[in-house]
Amino acid sequence: MPKVLIIDDSAVMRKIIQRNIQQSGLLVDEFVEAGDGREGLEKATANNIDLILCDWNMPNMTGIDFVKALRGSGQKSNIPIVMVTTEGGEAKIEEAKNSGANGYLTKPFTPDQLKSKLGNFLLVK
Amino acid sequence: MAIEGIMENVASDITSATKTLFETMIMLDLKYDNSFFEDDTQIKTDVIGMVSFTGKYHGVIALFCSKKFALKVASTMLMTDLTDFTNEVKDAVGEVSNMIAGNVKTKLTAQYGEMNLSIPIVIAGEGLSITAVNNHPVVAETTLSCFSKDPWLMTPFISSGEKFDVGLLLKESSK
Repeated sequence: MPKVLIIDDSAVMRKIIQRNIQQSGLLVDEFVEAGDGREGLEKATANNIDLILCDWNMPNMTGIDFVKALRGSGQKSNIPIVMVTTEGGEAKIEEAKNSGANGYLTKPFTPDQLKSKLGNFLLVK
Repeated sequence: MAIEGIMENVASDITSATKTLFETMIMLDLKYDNSFFEDDTQIKTDVIGMVSFTGKYHGVIALFCSKKFALKVASTMLMTDLTDFTNEVKDAVGEVSNMIAGNVKTKLTAQYGEMNLSIPIVIAGEGLSITAVNNHPVVAETTLSCFSKDPWLMTPFISSGEKFDVGLLLKESSK
């Protein structure tokens, strides 16, 4: 069963994302949380993570730096990453994709938008 | 375009971003009125959630609200009944400010080139406890007073019977 890592400096946002996934019918066995990119990098490499949801603007290590660091690490570098961020616009989406992100969702989002975005990476019950 | 005109356009973006946020993640009723320049340099409030941005223009987008409204919004977002003004409530206010500012910034970027957003900062006032001569504590309902040399362009909103404002400070950056 899939394990999902949620990286966001807001604990409230991590809870909202987790609740929306649980209520969506998407199959997830366990959630792992991190408050910034640096912690996310540690948890992504220490756990058998199947999917990563990552914010952009965070202290210590931003989301885009996390994506570049994970993709360049050689370890677990092929885990799908979906950016979930207030950063919108074509340039940011392009930058994220060029850095190795597999999906992009701007906040605020509806539960259906989140489900639709993650449906590419997770099975539905 | 003069800075006042740009600010009014941005205020329209603030209204649109706030409306979208309330329709997607907060799910509370929302009414709003026309934006206005706040003459008073001292804005009194309980809670301020603010995000600054830099680029061709720089400034601050800030949410000014009561503690009661902050609790209501955090409770709705978390689908639980929060009664204490905890860090979780401040976190929720920060996220609300962040989502409004993020959406406004995307629109500004499309018009004026790349801009950078700060991480949200939340400031909340606390009740001031004064011990009287007869040793009976008197708790005063204090509010924050936010000072600014430039006038805020305020957009007033009402949700669940509670008034809140989203303010904008904007300046053109030096070339």
